[in-house]
Amino acid sequence: MERLPYIAVIVAWGFISLGHLLPDVVGERPRAWSRAAAAAAVAVHAITLVYAALWMPPGLSEALSATALGVGIAYVAVVRRGLRALGLLLAPLVMVLVGTSLVVPHATVTALAHTGVSPWLPIHLGLTFAGIAGFALSSAVGVLYLWARGRLKAKKFAGMSRLPSLEVLDRIQFRAMLFGFVFLTLGIGAGGVWAAATLTESWEIDPKVWFTVLIWAWYGGAVQMRVVAGRRGRWTAMFSIVGFFGLIFSLLGLNFLLSGWHGYGG
Amino acid sequence: MVAETESERLLAVGMSHHSAPVEIRERLAFDENGVRSTLTRLVHDQIAEEAFLISTCNRVELYAVPRSVEALQEFFGAYRGPAGERIDPYLYWYRGKEAVRHLFKVASSLDSLVVGEPQILGQVKDAVRLAEETSTLGRVLYPLTQRTFTVAKRVRSTTEIGQSRVGIGNAGVDLAMQIFGALQGSAMLVGVGEMGRQVARALLSAGLAELLVANRTFERSVELASEHGGTPVPYERLADYLPRADIVIAATGAVHPIITVPMVRQALRDRRYRTIFLIDLAVPRNIDPAVDDLEDAYLFNVDDLSQVVEQGRAAREKAAAEALDLVDQEADRFLASLREVDVGVELRLLNEMAEQIRQSEVARSKKLLASLDESQAAQLDAMTKALVKKLLHRPQMAVRSAAKVGDQERVQTLMAPWKETP
Repeated sequence: MERLPYIAVIVAWGFISLGHLLPDVVGERPRAWSRAAAAAAVAVHAITLVYAALWMPPGLSEALSATALGVGIAYVAVVRRGLRALGLLLAPLVMVLVGTSLVVPHATVTALAHTGVSPWLPIHLGLTFAGIAGFALSSAVGVLYLWARGRLKAKKFAGMSRLPSLEVLDRIQFRAMLFGFVFLTLGIGAGGVWAAATLTESWEIDPKVWFTVLIWAWYGGAVQMRVVAGRRGRWTAMFSIVGFFGLIFSLLGLNFLLSGWHGYGG
Repeated sequence: MVAETESERLLAVGMSHHSAPVEIRERLAFDENGVRSTLTRLVHDQIAEEAFLISTCNRVELYAVPRSVEALQEFFGAYRGPAGERIDPYLYWYRGKEAVRHLFKVASSLDSLVVGEPQILGQVKDAVRLAEETSTLGRVLYPLTQRTFTVAKRVRSTTEIGQSRVGIGNAGVDLAMQIFGALQGSAMLVGVGEMGRQVARALLSAGLAELLVANRTFERSVELASEHGGTPVPYERLADYLPRADIVIAATGAVHPIITVPMVRQALRDRRYRTIFLIDLAVPRNIDPAVDDLEDAYLFNVDDLSQVVEQGRAAREKAAAEALDLVDQEADRFLASLREVDVGVELRLLNEMAEQIRQSEVARSKKLLASLDESQAAQLDAMTKALVKKLLHRPQMAVRSAAKVGDQERVQTLMAPWKETP
């Protein structure tokens, strides 16, 4: 089935990560290749994901895979703009996400049994995971921002010239977060519309939804802090990193721990 | 007679800021027309077969394949210093590999006053263009100049030689870039000390949009502001103008901090927490060190800046060492290719000689074997050709490989049996 192309995708990202981790060993030319490799991996990944989604209802594996794809696209976009330092964080993240998507059990959410497969499913999932990819990028940049800021405050300048400036990092972490926020909002909305349209029996808002609304509020707060109060930089970075941990918890843990519409029942 | 190879005859003569003071250098400086006429004269008077001349404010260098080194020495002997003395003690003479290496170093900006400055390659290109116009580049210098451009570009792209800059002013710019990325905002210069002005100048030339100048005596602020196209600010109203500045440079003789934590805190609030970058160049310090503890303020003192300068120097030295290695390798490669050209000429002669012998022998055989039809004659031709080729193959390979590693003695020994005339 779709394992083989995914393994190729993992190998590609492994190669790209290696190029970032050992630039001196790998040398100049493979670095140029790594961008082409990333674009190819993203293409193969996208095709595989869409193909798999046509055959069976998407579950946790596909969710993780979609997140990985989003981060991969972010990688290609970011590295093209000469922010190679970010690639160091993003490439291994893609690799780990794809790897995890291969080993987790194939589970689909309980809700599917009630609603059946509908065109709302890919819309709900697509929007939500585009948002999650934005948050992933934002938190990765946030980590880099905190590190660079720490170095500047500690007056340790070695290796700094390879990093983008604080302003640029701050701008990217915020824009990625804003992107994530907009798409998560749309994703939640699409889920709501889907539920309202297809579920005939009465339904309760399940714990996953509550938690997601919490995360949504958290990111909303982060955007407010910045736009209204002008608090940027470290504030945005902290909000972003904490928020992403919440998302990962929600994505990996919550669906198994809890029951409800988003629980992995089948 | 053992002929000198072209590569060994290559010569670089000149003087630079390393070897001669400006009073001497200016005596040997050439303008464009001077370069043209000198090159023409050198070739016309049979002093050199090929030549080109680099003349910049820091160096005058002649690269040549001389016909006579003595004549060239005479040529330079004619120049006199300001007191009528000879200038040749200031000249350096490089031959063969040393000359190639030197040219690569010069073009890659490794020999420059400010190592890594980019102008020199353009100046070398100009020199080459002038020599092309006067048609004084040939078998040796033409490929040398082309290779020089390639090497210089490689040095620039593969080492970090052109990246780090010199001086406290540029250290300030580097730090500002680290924080802001691009310099478009405004800076405030407090005090008019030399170091502060250096940083302000560097920031302005890096693209800063506005410079505010505050000094205890307002007249000096006005003076300095007009000099740099800035805006003078009354010293007493420093705090009012502080929120406007993305960058603050303090360099006054004040004994107590003149920029305090509450001032910067208020400025940050007014700026809606947009980052302020502060440089304190004064000793004793002008900015309260606790300002650095504020969330969106980044304060650097004189020691921090010298650390950046030092780091730049270290990076430059490392890059220079890498670049020198590269230049060495490239010089070896170039000489190897030149030697192959050298030996190629000899091998061609050898082939021609063998071909002559073969043809006369074949002609004799054909006369004796009159009954040969066309295809048999062709066969005889092909067979003798193959024979000669095979017999010569190994000796030729040996000569080539000896030439590649520059073992001239072995080349001569191998070639000797073919050259001796009975």
